[in-house]
Amino acid sequence: MAEPTGPELSRREFLGVLGASAGLAAGCSRPDRGELVPFTRRPDGARPGTADFYASACQEGRNVCGVLVRTREGRPIHVQGNDRQPFGAKASLRAIAGLMDLYDPDRLPQPFTGGMASSWPAAEESLVSVLLEARAGGKPVLLLTGALLSPTRRALLKDLQKALPGLVHAAWEPALGGDPESAALLACFGDARRPRLRLDRAKLILALDADLLSGARPEEIAGFAANRGERAMNRLYAFEGGMSLTGANADHRVPWRPSRAAALGFALARALGRRGIPLPAGLETALAGFELGALAREQGVDPALLESLADDLRQAGSSALVAAGPGLPPQAHAAVFLLNAMLGAQGHTVDAAAAAPAEPLAGREELDRLLRDAARGKFAAALFWQANPAYAFPDAALWKAAAAGLPYKVRIGMHADETARDCHLVLPEHHWLESFNDFEPAADFLLLQQPAVSPLYDTRQGEDVLLAALRGLGGADPADYRHYLMERWRREVQPAGSLVPFERFWSAALHEGVLRREPVARPPRRLDPAAVARLAGQAAPLRAPGFELALGPADGVGDGRQANNGWLQELPDPITKLSWGNAVSVSPTDASRLGLVDGDLARLTVGKTAAVLPVVVQPGQAVGVLSAALGYGRAVGTVAGGVGTDLYPFADAAADAGTAVKLEKTGRREALAFVQRHHKMEGRDIVRSLPWAAHGAGSESKQHDLSTLYPPQEFPKHKWAMAVDLSRCVGCQSCVLACQSENNVPTVGAARVLRGREMHWLRVDRYYEGDERSPRVLLQPMFCQQCDHAPCETVCPVAATNHSDEGLNQMAYNRCVGTRYCANNCPYKVRRFNFFEFTAATPESRRLAFNPEVTVRPRGVMEKCTFCVQRIQEAKSAAKAAGRELRDGDIEPACAAACPAGAIVFGDRRDPESRVSRLARSARGYRVLEELGVRPAVTYLADLRNPADGGKDG
Amino acid sequence: MRLVLAASGAAVLLVVLGVGWMTQPDRISRGYAPAQPIPFSHRLHAGSLAIPCLHCHAGAEKSRSAGIPSVETCMGCHRVTRTDQPAIKRLAEVYDSGGTLAWKRVHSLPGHVFFDHRPHVLAGVACQTCHGPVAEMAVMRQTMSMRMGNCLSCHRSPRPALPADSRITRAPENCYGCHR
Repeated sequence: MAEPTGPELSRREFLGVLGASAGLAAGCSRPDRGELVPFTRRPDGARPGTADFYASACQEGRNVCGVLVRTREGRPIHVQGNDRQPFGAKASLRAIAGLMDLYDPDRLPQPFTGGMASSWPAAEESLVSVLLEARAGGKPVLLLTGALLSPTRRALLKDLQKALPGLVHAAWEPALGGDPESAALLACFGDARRPRLRLDRAKLILALDADLLSGARPEEIAGFAANRGERAMNRLYAFEGGMSLTGANADHRVPWRPSRAAALGFALARALGRRGIPLPAGLETALAGFELGALAREQGVDPALLESLADDLRQAGSSALVAAGPGLPPQAHAAVFLLNAMLGAQGHTVDAAAAAPAEPLAGREELDRLLRDAARGKFAAALFWQANPAYAFPDAALWKAAAAGLPYKVRIGMHADETARDCHLVLPEHHWLESFNDFEPAADFLLLQQPAVSPLYDTRQGEDVLLAALRGLGGADPADYRHYLMERWRREVQPAGSLVPFERFWSAALHEGVLRREPVARPPRRLDPAAVARLAGQAAPLRAPGFELALGPADGVGDGRQANNGWLQELPDPITKLSWGNAVSVSPTDASRLGLVDGDLARLTVGKTAAVLPVVVQPGQAVGVLSAALGYGRAVGTVAGGVGTDLYPFADAAADAGTAVKLEKTGRREALAFVQRHHKMEGRDIVRSLPWAAHGAGSESKQHDLSTLYPPQEFPKHKWAMAVDLSRCVGCQSCVLACQSENNVPTVGAARVLRGREMHWLRVDRYYEGDERSPRVLLQPMFCQQCDHAPCETVCPVAATNHSDEGLNQMAYNRCVGTRYCANNCPYKVRRFNFFEFTAATPESRRLAFNPEVTVRPRGVMEKCTFCVQRIQEAKSAAKAAGRELRDGDIEPACAAACPAGAIVFGDRRDPESRVSRLARSARGYRVLEELGVRPAVTYLADLRNPADGGKDG
Repeated sequence: MRLVLAASGAAVLLVVLGVGWMTQPDRISRGYAPAQPIPFSHRLHAGSLAIPCLHCHAGAEKSRSAGIPSVETCMGCHRVTRTDQPAIKRLAEVYDSGGTLAWKRVHSLPGHVFFDHRPHVLAGVACQTCHGPVAEMAVMRQTMSMRMGNCLSCHRSPRPALPADSRITRAPENCYGCHR
């Protein structure tokens, strides 16, 4: 990223300009104040200065979430969850960040043919003529897309298939590799529907390398957090190679090789068999080789822990939930199906009845076959829509050959990306905030996507391109995809015999964004023990000692599709706290053996593929396991280009157990953009964590002497306060992004993160406690604590920061002269300083994302969390207009509104019955660094952990 | 020598005072009355015809900004009223062609000030308190300098601006009341 520089202005010039403007002002002319252009015809309901909300939906790989888009004067400025949708109401991390993609200045503004700017009619004519020729010549056409979750898009593809019989469609999600989970589902159940995981029903959760609590899965986080408190408490076991958020939140986390997850699952099934749950017929012999004790010895784990896990599973029965990560081989998934079936969890915590219809992704064999066919010249043309094989297909040589063998290639996408560079025709696509669609995330409800803004550029929705092709091929169809969608809903979705006119039904569905309906009754599916036995037979051999490599989508940028997004790039990894790039995580044991420290560059070799990338020494990483995030190392993009290392080329070899993995020190180093560089609490009482069994004892609550020399403060009307339940919080960082979006927080780039100049008003701190081979991880959202005796206020020489009579620590930007005394005196380090004129460096299109209710801060000004004072004022104004008093819950700061776990509660401490007051009185409540006497307004509720032994050894 | 010193001292003082007087914000902002694309007269509409302010500036009750009425609002009457006037003909042309009408902004606040019309209007503060005797203005002009002092003096003792039966005695003086 280029260094943002202000306009060049020397002191002399400045004085000159000053003098001139004084002269001008003294003269008779007055500065022009600009123009006001009202609507010529005001659309119904459009009122400048007020926000409108649109219900929509965002697809991300195989997940969809319903969202509410807040718009001001016709432009979307914030994305949050749609609380009308069932199963967890919040938006995923990347849905929140989708706003930045909409305004991405790198977006393609118009179609391109052969690298030259073109027009839609010309582009469509060219596409249709090629398709007509292919049909006439009887040659097939390849269509490669991302996962298909829209029933209407599916119908459209079927129509297209009818008009173009040679169409070959393959859906592909690069981060899922060959999709081993679906393969296992198909083998063991004869049906690839992925069940919904009902963490809200689970009392005992076992995660085998499954990151159930990443920010991409708000539904699972909500279910998990619902059972983390005084009254209800689940127990989470995590066995994983790398450290994930799931492991960080686990009651028992065990560093475990991913290649041995299947063996663990089968051994647990046998252990359950010994505990009175009979193994399905025929599996007794197939599983004979799996023994918990032997596995514990092999992995260096206390055998008693595995036995107690088996006891816990037995006891939880149908309230147990076992999950395997999508990166694990089919054998591990089969073991998980077996465990869930034996426990009776099938149909309860693992709900296949609520699952959406199966959408099989193309396996690696199928993709390989298609691309080999392409290389041989079998296809007349190929369309690449969403899928970006030039970047993410692991076998680069095969892709090159295929690209060379395809006579005509079309790219439908938002960017001139890697695949677009290889294509003849590049058709720019709408962003999802500009599109219409429907999704079927579960059997019992549909989500509708609708545009929240009219298209910013001369783009079209991908479906409209296919519709144009369909028209060209002679299929008679409506003018655009919106009408196609409405027609299908009229025919198939609106209940037959409904008395409601369709228009009313449709606008009601659009308004809600969600349509609940009766799920199609399906017979319960049965696990095929023979298939499990077959897979168990393949799981038996031990992997050769040595390294294994675990790859997965990054927590921020995901599989790389959204890599050109500054918010996601700057969002640190929740565990390593690394922003702007990826690194390979190495266990402390391996690191000391190889002489590696954080930031060392190492050569990673897997089979024939090699790359040099930085190392992070990760406490809790399983010995012999290397893990790293996909989604980085993009070749194009102003933001994404050259950030991190592309690890897709390793994906094949990493999935193959037989390939040797090597890691060698190169002797070179790279500076890594960590946002946190110290990882221990050093015995201080910052994050409290209590064993659940002992939480009632209340012995933990330390009393501090809080006598003060300051006069008492009075809060005549309100006293705003917040409570953060650390037991619910999983550290997903949705709050960080929501805050950034709401409060116009700039991104600063890697170079300035390295100098500690990141601007996030809200961060999530991560601490390690105990043995670094298997540490306890503690997470804590940290932001301005709005202290009543704020140390920042007393040192400000210009009184730019002071206390309001509602308990807010106010920051008046226009008074601030930038001494930074306040930041030096803040014990929480939550004040951020604008070292640069970030706004001046913000491209025009990105400025459209700014929230007009919040000042865009200039250079030289201190800033910090305001408790979203704009939302407080808005709620007050609305209450006043409605002629009523403010009610508890009227005000929701952006972080609280985005938190999938419901861990953040805001309210008025003057009202003793408000939620925040009740939480602040909780026995678990404490205030961070209270001993300093600063009287913070934020109460943290101690984290609760529920280990099997009651937490005896801490 | 003494004389020279005294004279130059006086000159410097004069320049400082002169520049200070010339550049005082009140002098610059008050009385600003730019020419508008349509010579709309508040004296006629709000004065002689006694059309209530909120009839056209309906946003003042519902939004932070009072808003400039849409061309459609004007045409509500001027489809039939005074259609022979050249200005009304221009207005109709803008409306029929779907073009835009760019008015000159008269009142403006700095970007770090977040003024909200709603609570003021709902509390019963008359528009004229800040915008002056609009019903007497043929050309809209600014009468209050709209500096922080204006806001605070009223927020500290709002009684004169409020209806007689209002129970409000003070308005917020917090920074966050207007700055965020």
